[in-house]
Amino acid sequence: MSEARRRTSKGGQEESTGQHNGIGGRSRPERTVDTADEDDVGGGPSGIQDEDDDPARRREIRSKYRDLINSVQQNREDMLSPANNKLTDVLEEANKLFANVRQAREAALDAQLLVLATDLGKEKASQLHAEGSAFDPTAFAENLLSFMGLNRLEEEEEDGEEGHSRGYLPQDAWHRLAKKAEFCFKTAPSFHYMLGSFLAEPPPPRQRVERQRKAPNKEEKRIMPTQLKKMEESHQEATEKEVERILGCLQGYFADDPESPISYYEFVIDPTSFSRTVENIFHTSFLIRDGLARIYLDKEKLPCIAPVEEGEVEPGGVTNRQQCVMSISPARWREIIEAFQIKEALIPAPKGISQED
Amino acid sequence: MSQKRRVSATQSRAPKRSQIVGDDEDDEDMSFTQPTSSQVQRARENFTTVQIDRKTAEVVQFILIKDQKKVPIRRADIVKHVMKEYKPIYQDIMKRVTRTFEQVFGMKLLEIDSKNHIYILVNKIEPVAGEPVSLYPSNPKTGLLFVILSIIFMKGGVVKEALIWNTLKKLRVDPGEKHDDFGDVKKLVTDEFVRQKYVEYVRIPHTEPLEFEFRWGLRAEKEVSKLKLLEFVAQLHDQEPQSWTQQFREATAAESSQ
Repeated sequence: MSEARRRTSKGGQEESTGQHNGIGGRSRPERTVDTADEDDVGGGPSGIQDEDDDPARRREIRSKYRDLINSVQQNREDMLSPANNKLTDVLEEANKLFANVRQAREAALDAQLLVLATDLGKEKASQLHAEGSAFDPTAFAENLLSFMGLNRLEEEEEDGEEGHSRGYLPQDAWHRLAKKAEFCFKTAPSFHYMLGSFLAEPPPPRQRVERQRKAPNKEEKRIMPTQLKKMEESHQEATEKEVERILGCLQGYFADDPESPISYYEFVIDPTSFSRTVENIFHTSFLIRDGLARIYLDKEKLPCIAPVEEGEVEPGGVTNRQQCVMSISPARWREIIEAFQIKEALIPAPKGISQED
Repeated sequence: MSQKRRVSATQSRAPKRSQIVGDDEDDEDMSFTQPTSSQVQRARENFTTVQIDRKTAEVVQFILIKDQKKVPIRRADIVKHVMKEYKPIYQDIMKRVTRTFEQVFGMKLLEIDSKNHIYILVNKIEPVAGEPVSLYPSNPKTGLLFVILSIIFMKGGVVKEALIWNTLKKLRVDPGEKHDDFGDVKKLVTDEFVRQKYVEYVRIPHTEPLEFEFRWGLRAEKEVSKLKLLEFVAQLHDQEPQSWTQQFREATAAESSQ
């Protein structure tokens, strides 16, 4: 039987190389001869032209073949089980279908199914040992489930697919199996420390290094720039505020008595604090740099300071400016205090810092 | 070029050739092994018994720790990490190590692959029925291994992977899903078990789409008793082990050869 089918489908394949969708033509007589040889192939002589070429009919046959092929591929393992007769059913079904096959395309599908069936058949045959019983993995799985304590109570209601028993498998199912299976294994007990345990492999040091390197990097990247900005800002702000405050003082004294010059030393020196003095000199220098105040020498060649009035500010007057570097030491500071008889600071200490001194 | 020089150098230095040939040098030509064995003799004189004992203990400890993961131990690793300058007397030390494992620990150190030189430890002491094999709680992976090895053995030594996955699915172990006991089942079976040499997972040639098949690994051959496995399988089926004639014959043959 299968010999006959094989020959037919082989003929079909040869045809299909010639013309893919083979509409009768040259191949027809060949085919007729082919089938005429095999009397037992159903369907009778294929003389009826329109029945052969009915596309809907052919499509139906192809779709049925594909379904069959699919079902064989899907259920392959179950079909291999010795108790399973599905392969026979599939072959019978294919035989029925083949009775109506007239064209190469359908015959090729039949051949494809035949290959699958042969493969399955071969594997089934390999299970058949001449002696003793064959091993059925499906039955094995069922027995294992029973051994592992499957609770089959729920099975009866939802016994859907064949071979898939439902039920509840207890938590320790695999432990239970392992305990029994251990006797088949000559596994050497693995080495453990009796007092506590050191892990066999300490966490790889590489990771640690990476973590240390990476984490601070991120922190730095995330925090440092903002911190820097803040520091610069706050520092600049503090300086600016201080400069403005000193300018305010200077303008205040000048306004009180515009006629009398303000001695630079008397203005900047704080007799109670050398550091405050240095700070005052520093801040005052900004006033000079920005052209908000000017320093000039009086008749006695002593430096005096005066605010520059707004109108006087000369935008391009950089050329007139002179620079000098001032130095002051605690000794000089004390000398000046004595010489000028400075009793109190003209620039009061800023409120925030005053307590530090 | 350098090899030539080495041969002539060793030969001139060692006029008295020893007849002992180290069997670990099989990948080298015979003309190289002979001078090597004379080097062995000279190396033996270089180390004291105390030194050799200490080195032996180090190797024993190395193997014990390495064995925790049940991945076979490579000779190359032993030489590289422990033996070092004792390499010329490798065979001597390994003999002592083997003896220590047998006499002190009740274990057998086996070279399961004489080509790649890898070793495993197996238990020499037979488990007593009815008594727990170890004090530690059983490892569920042993159960999984049992199932896989049983199917392979009962199916004649080689099975397509689909059969294994299909059977495991029936046991509620889906290779595509994470399992409570086994985690990534596919990885455990095709990676961990393979590395431990419990199973072999090989591509079947000329298949489209790709198909793989399972066989017993070298460790399984040494560690698992086919007869006991068959007995357990038979017990599960409520049959006699003899009813699987072929498997029974193979199992008894394997038992007597060990």
